[in-house]
Amino acid sequence: MNKALRKPVTYILFLLPTLFLFTLFFIYPVINATYYSFTSWNGISNVVKFTGLANYSRAMNDPNFWIAVKNNGLFILFSVFIQVPIIILFSLLIANVKKLKGLYKTAVFAPSVMSTAVIGILWGFIYEPDIGLMNNFLGLFGIDKIYWLSDRSWAMISILITNGWQWTGFYIVMVLAAIISIPKELDEAAMIDGATGWQRARKITVPLIMPIISVVIMLSVAGAMKAADIVLVMTKGGPSGATDVMATYMLKHSIKSFKYGFGNSIAVLIFIFTLIITVLYQLLVAKRTERIEY
Amino acid sequence: MVKKIKSSMNHVVLLAYLAVILFPFLFVLFSSVKANNVEIASNPFGLPTEFKFSNYADAWVNAKISTYFLNSLYIAVVASVATILIASMASFAITRMRFNKLSPWLFQLILIGILIPGNALLLPIYNLMRQFNFLDTHWALLVPYTANSIPFTIVILTAFMRSLPTEIEEAAVVDGLRAHSIFVKIIMPLTVPALVTVFIVNFLGNWNEFLLANYFLSEDSLKTLPVGMVGFRDAYNINYAQMSAGIVYSVVPVMVIYAILQEKIIEGLTAGGVKG
Repeated sequence: MNKALRKPVTYILFLLPTLFLFTLFFIYPVINATYYSFTSWNGISNVVKFTGLANYSRAMNDPNFWIAVKNNGLFILFSVFIQVPIIILFSLLIANVKKLKGLYKTAVFAPSVMSTAVIGILWGFIYEPDIGLMNNFLGLFGIDKIYWLSDRSWAMISILITNGWQWTGFYIVMVLAAIISIPKELDEAAMIDGATGWQRARKITVPLIMPIISVVIMLSVAGAMKAADIVLVMTKGGPSGATDVMATYMLKHSIKSFKYGFGNSIAVLIFIFTLIITVLYQLLVAKRTERIEY
Repeated sequence: MVKKIKSSMNHVVLLAYLAVILFPFLFVLFSSVKANNVEIASNPFGLPTEFKFSNYADAWVNAKISTYFLNSLYIAVVASVATILIASMASFAITRMRFNKLSPWLFQLILIGILIPGNALLLPIYNLMRQFNFLDTHWALLVPYTANSIPFTIVILTAFMRSLPTEIEEAAVVDGLRAHSIFVKIIMPLTVPALVTVFIVNFLGNWNEFLLANYFLSEDSLKTLPVGMVGFRDAYNINYAQMSAGIVYSVVPVMVIYAILQEKIIEGLTAGGVKG
C-alpha cells in the first residue's frame, strides 16, 4: 500500500541536499572552529602549530576581552531589566484598548523588519552631536551637548537604546498574541469579583504569560550573545574597544590580522558562555515557570 | 466616565510610544529634503521652507543605490527560493515518507542547527568560502544564506506538513503516483501558505544580512544594500541631507512590502523568533 513512500533511494535523494549543506555549514564549522582554537594558524599557510590552551589564556588575560564579555552582559541585563518590563506594560496596554489596536501593533513591529545596519546608520545620525535629533531634543530642556557615540561613558548605552528601539516591538507583538489567547472568562470572573484592572493584570494576566516571557528572555539572551552588526555599524567597537562585544572582538582579532586560531578560540568561548547562561537560566528561573493549563 | 478617562490614558501612553518609534523616521524623511547640515541643525524637527528633492537624485548616483539594490534583490530571492526547494524536499521525506525510525533523529539533528549562535561560525565559513574560491563572488553569500535558513525552514514546514491528513497521499498511492509526483503534485500545492511565510522570513533575513556580506565581498559592484549604505555613510557623513535620502531609499522597499504583507510577516517572524 505505502510502497511508493518507502523507497530508500527516494528518501535519501530528498534529504541529500539538506544533509550536505547542514554538514558543510553547521557540523564542519563547529568542529573546525574547535580544532583550530587550539592552534596558532594564520588562516592561509600550510603550517598549523598546535598550541594547546595558549589562545584561551591569551583571551582570558586580555582586559579588552573582558570588556567585550561585560558588554554582552550589558546587552542581557538591559533586555531583562529594562526591555522586559516595557514589553509587559505595552502588550497589556495594547491588549486592553479597543480602538487602534491594529495600528499600534503594526507600528511597534515596524523597526524589526528593517536591516540592523540601516538602523545603525539612522541612529548614528540621531546621535550626531551637533545636528542630531537627540541633542537638539535634550537641548530644549537645557541639557548640554553629549558626544553619544564617541564618549566612553555614553557609547554603550547609546547602542543599547538603539537595539532596544529595534527589538522591543517585536517582543511586544509576541507577548500580545499570548495575552489575546488567554480565555476571556478568567478576566471576566475576576472583574465580577471586583478586582481592579491593575489587580487583574498582576494576578491573572502576568502569571499566565510567564512562559512566553521566559521565551522572550531566552531569545534576548541568544540575540545578545550574537550581537555584532549594530556595534560594527555604529561604533566599530570604539572608542578604543569600549563597545566591543565578543563577536566584534573575535572579528577584529582574526580576519584583518590573520589570527585564525585565536579568533576561533573566541568563537568557542561564545558557545561556552551561551551554553552556561542557557543552562543556568533553565535551572534557576525556567523551572519555576512551568506550563500553565487553563 | 472613569473608564473613559482610563482608556484615553492608555492611548496617551501608547501614542507616546508610537511617537518614539515613528519620529526617527520622520526626522530622516524631513532631513532628506533639506539643503544642508546648517538647515538640519537650525530646524531639526520641522519641514524645510524649500524642498530640495535633488538630494534623492544625487544619493541615487553617489550611493550607487541601483547596483546595491539589484544585488540584494537577486541574492535574497535566489537564496530564499533555493532554501525552500531544498528544505521542502527534506520536510516531505521527514514527515510523509514511511521511515519512522530514522526521521525523528534527523529532525533532532537539524533542530540543533537553530541553537548554534550563527555569528560565531563566521571564521570557519569564511575559510570554507576561500577554499571554494567563492570570496568576492555572489556565491559567497548565496550558498551560506541558503544553508543558514534551512533549519528554521524545516521546522516550520514539517510542522505544517504533519498537519495534512495522510488519506491524501494514500489515495494518490492507490492511483499509482510515485513519491516525487506526490511531493510535486499534492503536498507542495497544499503547503503554499507555509511556503509563503518562510519565503518572506528568509527573504527579509537575507535582505538585511550584514556580517557575511561585509566580510565576504570587497568588490564594490557586488555589494548588497546594507553594506553599500554603510560604505556610503562612511564616505558622505559630512552631507547628512544626502545620507538621509540614501536611508529613505533603503527603508522604503521594506516598508512597502511590510505594509502589504504585514499579517504574514508578523506571523512568520514571531513564529521564527528562534531565528533571531
